[in-house]
Amino acid sequence: MDTTTATLWLQNLNALVGGVFLLVSFGLVAIRQVQGCVRLFTALSVLLGLSAFLLSQIYATWDLVVMGVVDIGTKAMLIPWLLRRALPEEVYTRREVTQVMNIPTSLLVALGLAIIGYVFSKPLLGVSGGAGPAGVNLPIGFAGLLIGALTASVRREAVPLFLGLLAMENSAFLAGIGIAPEMPLIAEVSIALDVLILVFAVSILTRTVHQHIGTTEVGALVTLTEATKDESPS
Amino acid sequence: MWRKGRMRERILFNLLQVATVVFFAPLVSGVLNRLKEIVQSKRGPSILQPYRDLWKLFHKDEIVSAQSSWLFRFTPYVVFVAPIFVTLLIPVLTDYPLFFAFMGDMLGGGFVLALGGFFATVAAVDTGNPYGPVGASRTRMVGFLAEPVFMIVFFTVSFVAGSTIPYIVQQRWITPVANFFAPSHVLLLLAFLMLILAEGGRIPVDNPSGHFELAMIDESKSLEYSGRGFGLVKWGGAMRLFVLMCIFLNVLLAPWGLAHEQTWTAVLVAVPLILLKILCFILVLVVIESSLAKLRLFRIAEFLGAAFITSVAAMITRLFAF
Amino acid sequence: MSIILIPALPLAAVVLSLLPLGRRFAPAVTLLAALGSLVLTVGNALTISRGREVVAIPGWVQLDGFAALLLLLVTFLSVTAALFSWGYIDAHQREPRRIRYYYAHFNLFTFALALVPVLFQPALVWIAIEFTSVFSVLLVAFDNTHTALEAAWKYIALMFMGAAIALLGFFVLFWAQEQAGGGHYSWDGLRAVAQQMPPVLVIAAFLLILVGLGVKVGFVPLHTWLPDAHSQAPAPVCALLSGIKTTNSLYVILRLVPLLPAGSGWAIQSIGLLAAGVAAFLLLQVKDYKRLFAYSTVEHMGIIFVAAGLGGGVAGQYASLLQIVSHSVTKSFCFFAAGAVLFVSGTREIASVRGLLRRAPAAGTALLLGGLAIGGAPPFAVFLSEFSIFRNGLAQGQYVGIGLLGLFITIAFFGILLHVNRMLFGSALPRVAEQSSERHDHLPRTCQLALLVAAVPVVVLGVYQPVWLHGLISVAATTLAPLSAP
Repeated sequence: MDTTTATLWLQNLNALVGGVFLLVSFGLVAIRQVQGCVRLFTALSVLLGLSAFLLSQIYATWDLVVMGVVDIGTKAMLIPWLLRRALPEEVYTRREVTQVMNIPTSLLVALGLAIIGYVFSKPLLGVSGGAGPAGVNLPIGFAGLLIGALTASVRREAVPLFLGLLAMENSAFLAGIGIAPEMPLIAEVSIALDVLILVFAVSILTRTVHQHIGTTEVGALVTLTEATKDESPS
Repeated sequence: MWRKGRMRERILFNLLQVATVVFFAPLVSGVLNRLKEIVQSKRGPSILQPYRDLWKLFHKDEIVSAQSSWLFRFTPYVVFVAPIFVTLLIPVLTDYPLFFAFMGDMLGGGFVLALGGFFATVAAVDTGNPYGPVGASRTRMVGFLAEPVFMIVFFTVSFVAGSTIPYIVQQRWITPVANFFAPSHVLLLLAFLMLILAEGGRIPVDNPSGHFELAMIDESKSLEYSGRGFGLVKWGGAMRLFVLMCIFLNVLLAPWGLAHEQTWTAVLVAVPLILLKILCFILVLVVIESSLAKLRLFRIAEFLGAAFITSVAAMITRLFAF
Repeated sequence: MSIILIPALPLAAVVLSLLPLGRRFAPAVTLLAALGSLVLTVGNALTISRGREVVAIPGWVQLDGFAALLLLLVTFLSVTAALFSWGYIDAHQREPRRIRYYYAHFNLFTFALALVPVLFQPALVWIAIEFTSVFSVLLVAFDNTHTALEAAWKYIALMFMGAAIALLGFFVLFWAQEQAGGGHYSWDGLRAVAQQMPPVLVIAAFLLILVGLGVKVGFVPLHTWLPDAHSQAPAPVCALLSGIKTTNSLYVILRLVPLLPAGSGWAIQSIGLLAAGVAAFLLLQVKDYKRLFAYSTVEHMGIIFVAAGLGGGVAGQYASLLQIVSHSVTKSFCFFAAGAVLFVSGTREIASVRGLLRRAPAAGTALLLGGLAIGGAPPFAVFLSEFSIFRNGLAQGQYVGIGLLGLFITIAFFGILLHVNRMLFGSALPRVAEQSSERHDHLPRTCQLALLVAAVPVVVLGVYQPVWLHGLISVAATTLAPLSAP
């Protein structure tokens, strides 16, 4: 097929990937099981890689292909593996019974945030004409960023909270590959590797929390205020 | 669109459409049951069994509770006729609007379909049987949770097509073919599929072949009927599922295989084609039904909430598209 | 080439400090690496203060005035913190394994801190800032107490949220540069095309980066993690966190301020005033003296930001840079003093410490000096820099901003001295049963030495500025001056 229909196919497929990405972000807010959250995050990373591959065809650059491969390798494979290794198996059989707000309310707030993301992207896209993949990736990335922040705020268990933070970074990346595809490769690869180090550090922290405090419900740790009596100092 | 002066043809095609729905609905129901049984490694009843059931029911006596009112006697006719009205409005065999097509749009069709459900619910309360109101209230809960999803789906579809007539809508999704994968389209398909599962009373929302009255949602509304009334209610239920599937397939998913010219041959060829499409959909439905478990009652709200989110995501990606 | 060595030395020290060669090996290696970095940095800073550029990989790794100033602060603080850690950690930890663990993380932290000014490409700078957060998390949680772990968890969650938002901001900034015609994505490249970048994109990128990195700096209302994390960490780590890590993030934000369209000074001032004001009032009701200094950090970040928003071209930026220098050296000294007080008293609560000047003269004097210095009393460095800010503000006619700033600084001064006085004077409290057994009688020698070394710039810079330092800050101010006419 000629280039215009090929581009149209690619853009539509990219838009589809973006739409499913948005849907999965909503899922991260609502899914109760910890294991379900890990699967959703893997799906999110795979979608990011797919978008990178599709955009590499549209923009005709090899950088994005490499970036897609690195992204799927680290976020879709290494990070879930690391999380499983670091924490005892029992953490993954849990479900969250309560959140800070109940699930339907969180979903409605997430919807509002998605709309805000779209509304705030509009003036930004007006500058460059708004055509092309940037018009899909930027609003969805921004919406995903806000929804990830919501996930990290309402969730109580450590693993879904942290996956919400990682989803924020995934969304920022999704927006980034749409609007700045010429970003030097070394920067993008380093960002992916930096996330890996972060996951490593946080899993050690979570394991320490689990060992010393006995629970991974970190959202419930709200004891530090002005009036706290301190323990053994250092 | 259509040539004037062929009014007689258009009326006849419309009636042919209604006849297709009326005649083939029990067949669809029979095939669905047979396939489900085969998947469970049983032999299953013959696919023509629903016809035999209807024949038997129409020759039996009707027993009506002395406590019930005119509603109970009137409802089977409403349940039978409502899907027929909707058939007049939607594309089943042709992709150009027929004679009665502009009598009502998608919202009107939705209301008429809901009318049948409303009468069935009220009649269930009418008899005084304890299981009737239980099922009726649960059906209403599923109904009102599914309402926002219906609305958003209709709004998005109308926004895309610029009209609320189903015939006009379907063209927009397939030209060019790449638009099939637009995110609003795919997410709408997903949302509407979940809606069919909810409204049609399939697993994971409700078990259509269950016998335990305390767990029934849809079936308990028809517990009290017998004889001809029961036959009409069963037939009406089968037609309702057929109509929902037609809307899904012909308006949203795969508007191919519909008659394009206005000749008798084209329209008659479209009949087995629509049955073929429905058969493919039934296969998907069987897979879904056999691999999921029935949800607990309070989780149905989360299921329909997920459908709502999916439809709103579809709307957002379309409405704010740049 | 020497620029690359500056962060490479601590990185090498990470590996070396993991070797099980006795209790003294890891601290010694750390100190040596820090001293090496300091020497190299001073050499480079002298070169830059004479007006020459230092470039390793053009566009990727190079130093300009502002970066050199920051690097100087980083390395100096690393030296004093390494010195203080020597005695402090040695006294608190029994197992050599924990000591090695501490120093490995300490060196990773200083490596990341040194990496931020050295890199010239904004996306890489983001990565370096992320490294500073990641590598300090386990240091904040070092005590493994309930409160420390909670503080560490809150810290990393908010840090990473901010980082993701800032990442989007950097992408938008790159996009803005592409719209303006491209060029190399570095601080210099951005300044070159600043006038052509579409204002809506620049403002959007700045807001995203402000919110994202503002979490790390401690701007209100994103500051909630700061008192917890900066009080639960061990004292030398606190000094690094408050003294230079928050300043690193502020450095990145300040680099972007000249790119903004003209007339946004009032917005910058308001954000700074909000931080300073809220922190000043929150200072009054603390019960823990490390939290006191943590809130003072928030306040000073606000002051620096207000100074940057006052305008006044190169002279105006000189004042804010001077404030950065004085704050870093003074705040690290304060936290060393707080660590010394903790050492001799065994408790973090203000109400449980009395008569410090009589009981432990060294720690008490240090605390007194620290409190006075950070509050802004003469003849210390902070007084001189705040005075420069006021003078610049009056010259620019920003009476409202300066008036409010003066009010907040006064309130903070009052608050700090109120609490410090309660701890220093009076007779010592009788030994209470719940006091921890972790108190010691004498400060280790290295801690005293570190306090002395750290006190030198605090006192000296209040009365005398070396010529080379003046030259360095002037060069740095030119890179910060706004590009569009005010």
